Amino acid sequence: MIVSHKIKKQMEETGWIRRMFEEGINMKRQYGEENVFDFSLGNPDVEPPEQLKQSLIDTLNMPVTGMHRYMPNCGYDDVREEIAAYLKEYYGMPFSAKHTYMTAGSAGGLNILLKSILNKDDEVIVPTPYFMEFKYYIESHGGVVRLVNTKDDFQLDIQKIEEAITPKTRAILINSPNNPTGVIYSESILRELAELLYTHRSKGKKIYLISDDAYKKLVYENIQPPNIFSVYDLVISVTSHSKDLALPGERIGYIAISPEIKDVDMLISGLMFSSRALGFVNAPALFQRVVGKFQKNSVDILEYQKKRDILFNTLVEAGFQCTKPMGAFYIFPKSPIDDELEFVKLLQEKERILVVPGRGFGKEGFFRIAYCVPFKKVLGALDGFRRIGKEYIK
Amino acid sequence: MVISKKISESMKDSSWIRAMFDEGEKLKKQFGSEHIFDFTLGNPITEPPKELKNELIKIVTSDLKGMHRYMSNSGYEEVREDIAEFHRVTTGIPFTRDHIVMTVGSAGGINVVLKSLLDPNDEVIVPCPYFVEFRFYIENHRGIMKLVDTKDDFHLDIEKIKQAINKNTKAIIINSPHNPTGVVYREDELKELAAVLTERRKKGQRIFVISDEAYRKIIYDNIKYPVMFNIYDDTISITSHSKDLALPGERIGYIAISPLIKNAKNLIDATIFSNRILGFINAPAIMQRLVGRFQKNSVDILDYQKKRDAIYNILSNTGYDVIKPEGAFYIFPKSPEYDDVKFVRNLQKNHILAVPGTGFGKNGYFRLAYCVEMDIIERSEPYFKKALESIHA
Repeated sequence: MIVSHKIKKQMEETGWIRRMFEEGINMKRQYGEENVFDFSLGNPDVEPPEQLKQSLIDTLNMPVTGMHRYMPNCGYDDVREEIAAYLKEYYGMPFSAKHTYMTAGSAGGLNILLKSILNKDDEVIVPTPYFMEFKYYIESHGGVVRLVNTKDDFQLDIQKIEEAITPKTRAILINSPNNPTGVIYSESILRELAELLYTHRSKGKKIYLISDDAYKKLVYENIQPPNIFSVYDLVISVTSHSKDLALPGERIGYIAISPEIKDVDMLISGLMFSSRALGFVNAPALFQRVVGKFQKNSVDILEYQKKRDILFNTLVEAGFQCTKPMGAFYIFPKSPIDDELEFVKLLQEKERILVVPGRGFGKEGFFRIAYCVPFKKVLGALDGFRRIGKEYIK
Repeated sequence: MVISKKISESMKDSSWIRAMFDEGEKLKKQFGSEHIFDFTLGNPITEPPKELKNELIKIVTSDLKGMHRYMSNSGYEEVREDIAEFHRVTTGIPFTRDHIVMTVGSAGGINVVLKSLLDPNDEVIVPCPYFVEFRFYIENHRGIMKLVDTKDDFHLDIEKIKQAINKNTKAIIINSPHNPTGVVYREDELKELAAVLTERRKKGQRIFVISDEAYRKIIYDNIKYPVMFNIYDDTISITSHSKDLALPGERIGYIAISPLIKNAKNLIDATIFSNRILGFINAPAIMQRLVGRFQKNSVDILDYQKKRDAIYNILSNTGYDVIKPEGAFYIFPKSPEYDDVKFVRNLQKNHILAVPGTGFGKNGYFRLAYCVEMDIIERSEPYFKKALESIHA
């Protein structure tokens, strides 16, 4: 066989995503782009903030010698300083440059982090529904993924997490605001989680909490997401500027290591090694220079909120069971029929609405709508959701 | 321990490199960096071509919407088309955009290819001396590296390669122009290699050539570059624009998969998938747009050639045993003492920073990266001389 057995198997597992994707493309060809409502991709249609675009132009118009060369694997010192200053203010903790590490987005960040910390067969607990790529990231570096269901409101089920902890547990990987549910884990639930992990610490077991904060700035109604660094000590946060600064194609983000983690220097050395060994080498130079100054900025959250509100209200009125998203740009309703794959096909065929079945996130019986699309697309799909709700929801 | 045992061990293996680097930094502080001749890093001082810089400004000032968004994991179609055209023209083989996958430099590209190809314990042959990171790339994906010595002139030892092949051999990585030796493999030796691999093919075993072509455009004396695609069907090339367009910090390159590979489609799909799940997702968007238009361009080769001539002349005049590089920007002289680490320390005492051959799997040599200012090369002669004399004294 031309490709490795593992890759072949992993590709087959996700084969249906590809098939759906291709059907979607065919559909757009057949009916015209404007008559298909594609909510399948987390690829925001927004542009980066104007000031950021201007800053990019300024950076290139005032070139510094060597600005496209290699820099230390962990990134430019001054950019790391800027990020540390922001983290210090935001979290109220003594972050300095040495607690930060520039990465090629959060996908890149998670991979170099997992490679750095996982011994063979170490386990990583991941609450479901979850972003399925996590499984591949963990398996790429010899780890084993332990999926743990969340509660009906998609909040962490501490009891279940406790049951899943074994001597091999190395880390818990959470993502809040969450893809695919839009849920933000509450401070009280995170405190319970921390308490559980501290109990294991007292028995000599160190468990790291890896927090994928890609959607941290996309929160609604001025909700202040809990300060994860103040809740637990062994926290490593992985962030991307794909969503808050709308730069997904440029692959830029960073890792923030809690100042409470004592062997931070060793971890940074490990990350430097892993980014070289995995071939990232360093985060793209040009965008490192740009994002440092925009740590407090974000794309317009009100635009997303408008879309969330109208979509959520329509779905509820149409009889769908769904949890109101508190952040990110996803909503994860229950499928009116048990086999959500079947329902997703019906949505596609009857209403030309494209969404992703819950099994793509480890949770059958639900489906994900990514509403990071133009407002008129959201409006255009509302009747479709109403009609299909009427037909299938008893 | 916060890091994994394996990483910790790998780091220990390379800790002496770190130590030398730190010592070099100390020397620079002590004597001023202009008095230290630093030949350790393959981080060229060259700037990207002027037209490229202008084009970059043109792109970011255009009102093109969505230029920073995700695109297909394999990269922009029009960019891949530009690159496919370059390969069609240079090889006469019908490359299409589907045979090209844009990557995060060649380090990213090689990882993606190895992840796509390797089953646990598959072996990958690497001619030695070699770029040490290859070992980590192969081990990342559960492969086993099999080092095979090259001949005295650093050209491929086909007989030894033949002996190293077994039923688990999945690929061979060649890198020409070569880091650390500057050697460019000749057409005849590559044909001999192809013949050996084709022999296995007849017995039902496919062995891929992974051709790391990061230095392909940095080639001297108008030597004709033998293109592996024209020599062997099961070839995958990896290209980086770190060196030819001087963009190492931007992480941009690509994989080209030969259309002559049987079932190439499966391999292409696997590389796109691996690109995603290794966390690269796609190559940086804006740099993709840029490099497609500059496939025929390169930094000033004559400038490198002058530097090559200067360093080669200095070394051979002062009595070092050295092979004249035909490409890249490295030179790999024989260490006058067998213990190359010891000699490199001796060089350090004489204000010259180099990397011992041990760092490339080859004791008894040292590497100089001459992608530095000409002035540094020119002023270094008496210091090389002193280092050599201090041994004979």
